[in-house]
Amino acid sequence: MVDFARVQKELQECNRDFEVSGIRVVPNGEANLAHLLGTIPGPLGTPYEGGTFKIDITLPDGYPFEPPKMRFATKVWHPNISSQSGAICLDILKDQWSPALTLKTALLSVQALLSAPEPDDPQDAVVAQQYLRDYQTFVGTARYWTEAFAMISSLGVEEKVQKLVEMGFPEALVRSTLESVGGDENLALEKLCST
Amino acid sequence: MEDDYYLSGGSEEEDDYYPSDREAESLDGLENEESDAQWATSKAPSSKVITKESLLAAQREDLRRVMELLSVREHHARTLLIHYRWDVEKLIAVYVEKGKSCMFSEAGVSVIELVDLDPPESSSTLMCNICMDDVLAKDVTKMDCGHCFCNNCWTEHFVVKINEGQSKRIRCMAHKCNAICDEGIIRKLVSVRHPDLAEKFDRFLLESYIEDNKMVKWCPSIPHCGNAIRVENDEFCEVECSCGLQFCFSCLSEAHSPCSCLMWELWTKKCRDESETVNWITVHTKPCPKCHKPVEKNGGCNLVSCICGQAFCWLCGGATGRDHTWSHIANHSCGRYKEDGEKKAERAKRDLYRYMHYHNRYKAHTDSFKQESRLRETIKEKVSHLEARDSKLRDFSWITNGLCRLFRSRRALSYSYPFAFYMFGEDLFKDEMTKKESEIKQHLFEDQQQQLESNVEKLSKFLEEPFDEYSEEQIMQIRMQVINLSVITDSLCKKMYECIENDLLGSLQYTIHIIAPYQSKGIAKAEELTWSAQANSNNKCQKISNQATGDLIEIGKASASGTSDESTQLSRKRPRKGSSAGSMFDLNLPAEVHQPNT
Repeated sequence: MVDFARVQKELQECNRDFEVSGIRVVPNGEANLAHLLGTIPGPLGTPYEGGTFKIDITLPDGYPFEPPKMRFATKVWHPNISSQSGAICLDILKDQWSPALTLKTALLSVQALLSAPEPDDPQDAVVAQQYLRDYQTFVGTARYWTEAFAMISSLGVEEKVQKLVEMGFPEALVRSTLESVGGDENLALEKLCST
Repeated sequence: MEDDYYLSGGSEEEDDYYPSDREAESLDGLENEESDAQWATSKAPSSKVITKESLLAAQREDLRRVMELLSVREHHARTLLIHYRWDVEKLIAVYVEKGKSCMFSEAGVSVIELVDLDPPESSSTLMCNICMDDVLAKDVTKMDCGHCFCNNCWTEHFVVKINEGQSKRIRCMAHKCNAICDEGIIRKLVSVRHPDLAEKFDRFLLESYIEDNKMVKWCPSIPHCGNAIRVENDEFCEVECSCGLQFCFSCLSEAHSPCSCLMWELWTKKCRDESETVNWITVHTKPCPKCHKPVEKNGGCNLVSCICGQAFCWLCGGATGRDHTWSHIANHSCGRYKEDGEKKAERAKRDLYRYMHYHNRYKAHTDSFKQESRLRETIKEKVSHLEARDSKLRDFSWITNGLCRLFRSRRALSYSYPFAFYMFGEDLFKDEMTKKESEIKQHLFEDQQQQLESNVEKLSKFLEEPFDEYSEEQIMQIRMQVINLSVITDSLCKKMYECIENDLLGSLQYTIHIIAPYQSKGIAKAEELTWSAQANSNNKCQKISNQATGDLIEIGKASASGTSDESTQLSRKRPRKGSSAGSMFDLNLPAEVHQPNT
């Protein structure tokens, strides 16, 4: 069984210094802490700057003795991340995992991966080829993908609430749902529809 | 098995009859089992049988060497040895070259003696960084690397790793800590909650000695006899397990010297496929358009008729009428004769004949070898007849010796044919030798081989004679012949091997083919590990502990310094070792030698 006591502590710990790290982990779905949603800000000085990337986290039964399964839920253009599935190629999520690592440290490593791609050990061969042969185009595509998929839409929170309320959802529920998914309009809508 | 014959035939008069000037040394071993044993340990690349029981001792031998050399504890020695694949020489070389600390960190050994200045009160609590809970100080364990976590978390970690099959290298839980965990602690913690898993862990560690060690391999017997064989200095050799199976240590298939492993692999595959026959049939025959049987053209014009009566054109395979001239079939036309088809046909035919030549001879010798195994029985009978006769001839060891020589030479002879097939064929060494060179070498080799072959046949002939019905004088004649031929075939075998090793394979530049060396005494039987072979039936345990004093003392130390279950582990196993020592000893001796002793 997953050590939920530890996961609970990890979440508290992580969200406490959200201001500093910009990294957040929230439960994804009801009550079950085995499915989580992490968000990381795109590192400054990279084509990912300004984006907020969502990462789908599944904890295996053996967590923390087995590594958590992480996958990008936001589309991202990066040599070590599949542009199709969001699968991440990162050693600490595989054989280099240590039980002493936490979700927060793992997400920090993912964030570090965004600023330091390793095209020689690619997850996505197409992206890696482009990175090595035509770096300028790579930066352009990565930037474009960030703007298209990872920017919280330019609308302010009030406008989003407004929009969702107009669709017929009660305002209080809209607000709490938006909060829980980190302000993403589409995710909030999805969640509202599924409840 | 063959050794039985040598061992049982002891004689004092032997020297008078053997030509003393040549091959005298090869006959030493024939006299009695002591000299045979000496020979096995001193000359041949000796090999040892490791049984389930002696595996622990075999491992311990190497562990002890490393423990003494580096003055480290047992689990550190094991970690180092697993890292260096149980190659003690390599380990020592790295130690000399890179130094202790570098070697230790590479292998994941940390021997920093952490002195706890103030051991925490057993009532105080610590925070475990894994479960993030406060735990009592008595419930935490600190590894050699200094990292300290609670016992529950350690246990979970070990369980996951053992189940993942990583027992041999379980790392510390701390991030980026390369240290390998203390096996004693693992065993202790895991056995509390999962005793079966702790056993599995022990087995993995024990079997690592076989799995990770290039000088040790499982005996390939089916069903498996449970033994492994350790060779001492040369991987390219043929061995006999105590279960009786003889095999090539390097490729684990049947003993095939003087064929190299690659040649043997190709040969068995070829024999299995019968590819040449199929080739020949496809090129030389055409299916009858009516009954579809393959039809070979045995001459004449291109109008062929099948035994079913159907006539057809050889060129295109189509059915025709019977009306034809030498060059033309009535109402049939199918173009010109194709030249490359002819070339292909010739080549396939030549290759097939070549293969058949070698295969027939290989097969003939293998078959004679099988038939001659029956000779063993008849020879035994003949010897007992002779012994029953009241004559002054008392010693008949020359018969059994001659028989063994026959078997051995047959063996070498039969495998020399597939060797020649590849050595002088185009498959392997086309780029290594010109056609001319290859031809010269082939003649050289064939001279040796044929000489050996004719002498082997002679020897076979004499041994098959019904000499038990002969007069004493005639027997003496045969005896001289058999002894002479035995010596001659042995030296011819040796020469053939020399020719192969030096002139043929030795002169190759690009490829390396190593063959198991010629063993005049036949394939050496692997010995039991000496620790058990020396054990006497009275007060066995005493003896074992005497021999292995260093061993036991070290274990004592180790257990004193923390791994207390280590000693219980041993004491649980030792009585088994001891009691089986006697019976393992038996396996090494042929029954007839051993029985009088017990």
